[in-house]
Amino acid sequence: MSLGTIDYAVLALYFGFVLGIGFMMRCKVETSADFLTSHHSVPVWITSLAFIAANLGAQEVVGMCASGAKYGWMTSHFYWVGAVPAMLFIGVFMMPFYYGSKARSVPEYLRMRFDEKTRALNAASFAVMTLFSSGVSMYALGNLFHLVLGWDFTASVLLSAAIVLGYTFLGGLTSAIYNEVLQFFLIVLGFSPLAILAVLKAGGWEGMRMRMAPAMTHTWKYLGDASQNPMGIQVFGMVAGLGFVLSFGYWCTDFLVVQRAMAADSMSAARRTPLVAAFPKMIMPFIVIAPGLAAMALGQMNSGYAFPMKEGTGGPDYDMALTTLMAKFYPSGMLGVGLTALMASFMSGMAGNVTAFNTVFTYDLYQSYIRKGAPDSHYLRVARLTTVGGVALSIATAYLARQFNNIMDLLQLVFSFVNAPLFATFLLGMFWKRTTGHGAFTGLLAGTMAAAATHGLTVAEGKGGWISPTHTFPSTMAQNFWMAIFAWSFCFGVTIVVSLMTAPKPEAELKGLVYGLTEVPSDEHEPWYRRPLVLAGIVVVCLIALNAIFW
Amino acid sequence: MSDLRIPIALFFGITGILLMTVGRNHAALTDAPVNLYTGAAMLLFAGVMAWLARRHS
Repeated sequence: MSLGTIDYAVLALYFGFVLGIGFMMRCKVETSADFLTSHHSVPVWITSLAFIAANLGAQEVVGMCASGAKYGWMTSHFYWVGAVPAMLFIGVFMMPFYYGSKARSVPEYLRMRFDEKTRALNAASFAVMTLFSSGVSMYALGNLFHLVLGWDFTASVLLSAAIVLGYTFLGGLTSAIYNEVLQFFLIVLGFSPLAILAVLKAGGWEGMRMRMAPAMTHTWKYLGDASQNPMGIQVFGMVAGLGFVLSFGYWCTDFLVVQRAMAADSMSAARRTPLVAAFPKMIMPFIVIAPGLAAMALGQMNSGYAFPMKEGTGGPDYDMALTTLMAKFYPSGMLGVGLTALMASFMSGMAGNVTAFNTVFTYDLYQSYIRKGAPDSHYLRVARLTTVGGVALSIATAYLARQFNNIMDLLQLVFSFVNAPLFATFLLGMFWKRTTGHGAFTGLLAGTMAAAATHGLTVAEGKGGWISPTHTFPSTMAQNFWMAIFAWSFCFGVTIVVSLMTAPKPEAELKGLVYGLTEVPSDEHEPWYRRPLVLAGIVVVCLIALNAIFW
Repeated sequence: MSDLRIPIALFFGITGILLMTVGRNHAALTDAPVNLYTGAAMLLFAGVMAWLARRHS
């Protein structure tokens, strides 16, 4: 694939604008709170779009298209069973505690609700994880641009990192959030034409349905039996593993996304952030998953498009589905827009990680354990330096990933163990006032160990089984979902048992942090379209309709 | 100029015009003038953003 002048012009224009937005936001930064939390000043339409964009990294876009080709339309469960219901839950039920607690970060909420050790555990693992994921996605981007355009790995990694550093250093969280909105629109306008063209060329939905195995174009119909669908999972594993545990765990507890909602200018706006975001989120499968399906169908037709294959082993190279489609359907001009959209998705993901890392490092680690009680200007300086340090460490991680792929796989696995039980801790912490700090901490450790044990005792596609393989899953995805289910259940159980054996915090200290002791603001004076429950109701109706149509 | 809608309108306005000027380029697998259509859509979007920003101010 080669780019023309016009394509480079679009890319340069985009770089100019994101840096320009950084400059525009620079004058708004006077305190560490301006830089790290946007000081509760961002309008709701902006926080909503940033809420989704921070998660729309390049790996998400490329990966969802790849999963569309590999697993078919069932991949939309990641949105319609996973993300969207979780977004409704955080907006309606959890946001009053996050926003109402006045915590500046998710780990800080954990300190207020539980104790210091639970916060330290969460803050430390989150900080390492954000650096790691921004490094890994940087590596993926460098690799992709090298494969597709022949660009030098180092050049594309350094250029993109320098631009992200530029605008996050200048304007902090506000600049990252504002840019995420531009990036969101670019992703939608850059990828939608591809989805439309590829699906039309494949003969529309009917044409794709006729050319592929029946399980590829349904969401629920083939979930009754794990052997009947390409993901190798059945209804319970899907709904409980992906929907309840993994997606709720991510969307409701991950500071990367929660931070966007917490930047909103009022409690009502913070609650509406994930609810408003749920509308565009519902549409995303049509933009990011449908092209993957179309690529699969086109590969089986005499269309002039051949599905990409891996060198050597000869299996399909799903990760290349998106870029090979672009090369065939986008002329010079749109090709530039498409690649800029890919760059934008990478940058929004990376800036999300960097700004979340910043806040957690500065407030939860530096201010809490390294230097307490310094003047605010000191923390602003530390936050700025942390931005530089965070980007530098991400670059180092990207090179590490390039050299030692196995270490990265191992780290990713360890993080999945740590993350899996989190939602149980938050659920109990927010809705059961008897939950204690000792309970939460032991529960988290037990859940992590349960996840590791599940992985060690089961095998899927040659992975796991390092303790003693006692069960075989048809796919790693099924293994992941079940690992999450066990981790959640262990964490939930152990937290309850240990909480009952230890002394709870006095109720006075739990005001604003727990259900029953927190005043949920009344929204009766708001017009109907601004009431959280009404918005959530509309989303639920749309969600049921989508699931029924694509049954 | 802290209204985000203005830079968004500018970015998509300029990109839209750029795409319209190379509207005749064709891709390997489609005869549709993709640049022209997407360029027009971007200009429309830019117009809506600019209108919203103006109404707000």
